[in-house]
Amino acid sequence: MTSRRNMLKSAVLAGGAGIVGATALGSLGAEAAFGATSPQVEPGTPDPDFAEGRIRSIKGNTLLVLGSNMVFHNIRVVDGTSLWKLGPVGFEQAQPGDGLYARGVRMPDGVLAAESVWLNIVNIKGHIRNITSDKLHLDHNGKEILCHVVPGRSVAVHSDAPASADLSSLRVSQHVQILGAWRPGTNEVDIATVFSPH
Amino acid sequence: MARSQPTDPPPIDLLGPVLGEVSWFCCGTAWGPCSSTGKGACGTCNSGNMQHAWPNTSDACWSITRPDRCGDSLSRRTCGFRHKTTALCSGASVVTAIADCGPQTDLFCGERSCCGSTCASNRLIDLTPAAYSKIASLSTGLRPCEISTA
Repeated sequence: MTSRRNMLKSAVLAGGAGIVGATALGSLGAEAAFGATSPQVEPGTPDPDFAEGRIRSIKGNTLLVLGSNMVFHNIRVVDGTSLWKLGPVGFEQAQPGDGLYARGVRMPDGVLAAESVWLNIVNIKGHIRNITSDKLHLDHNGKEILCHVVPGRSVAVHSDAPASADLSSLRVSQHVQILGAWRPGTNEVDIATVFSPH
Repeated sequence: MARSQPTDPPPIDLLGPVLGEVSWFCCGTAWGPCSSTGKGACGTCNSGNMQHAWPNTSDACWSITRPDRCGDSLSRRTCGFRHKTTALCSGASVVTAIADCGPQTDLFCGERSCCGSTCASNRLIDLTPAAYSKIASLSTGLRPCEISTA
């Protein structure tokens, strides 16, 4: 699996990397991709192969990102990069203002050659305050997050049962975990998955 | 003749690796709903650091998370203690240091995650995004795992 990292490095160093949403290296969403050998990072410290922040601008295939700790990152999207925004998306879906997490390979010039970029992804826990036909009102640490059900996209996972598009069994006051995509500048989230213990 | 006193069984993670569920959480300075999260119980937590939350970092922490209500007795481990988390789906592992109290295990008692026929129950550890993304895609949200001391 080290070949994936090497291929990413090669793609960036060669300077010929195109911008595509799918990957020529295979599906980076596959679990196997995360078995890749990469340098161990000292526990408790920042991982140089990881970046977090919000997109300030986009130049060619590079995302200019300002980290929440005020450190800038140049994140290069290459042929092997997978992008997620409520689901797998193409590079054109990345927009200034989006929040992101990215993992890849840090190049000698400081650029992060991205294996994966997760746009606006949030994974929040809380209890359901209210349910309407297309929204869940989630109390997350005392703040209300408005969670939108997206037809054809949102699913519920009840413990180890298969994911279901039927969210009707969710109940007010129930504790859940919601994985979704934040709507920048709001307290609203589009739901990808609701995890429910029962 | 002295009578033997009944004793509680030792915490399961003292007996060897323990199976449970792993999820991820944000902490430190951040964007979106995470922006008000703070630096966690240890005061050091950041989403970009190789860190995790553990349900038994103190008495106060334990009183909130209560994994014992789900049948899991976990050892007291304090800030900076290192655990190794191995994703059962990929076999990938990551070593991280405790930076926060959590997850709130008892709110999800009995929950089970599987990879094929390999399953694990109850939320026993939360990783930062930097750590979780070493062993699984952030978009998976929740995975079965094995936790051991590093």
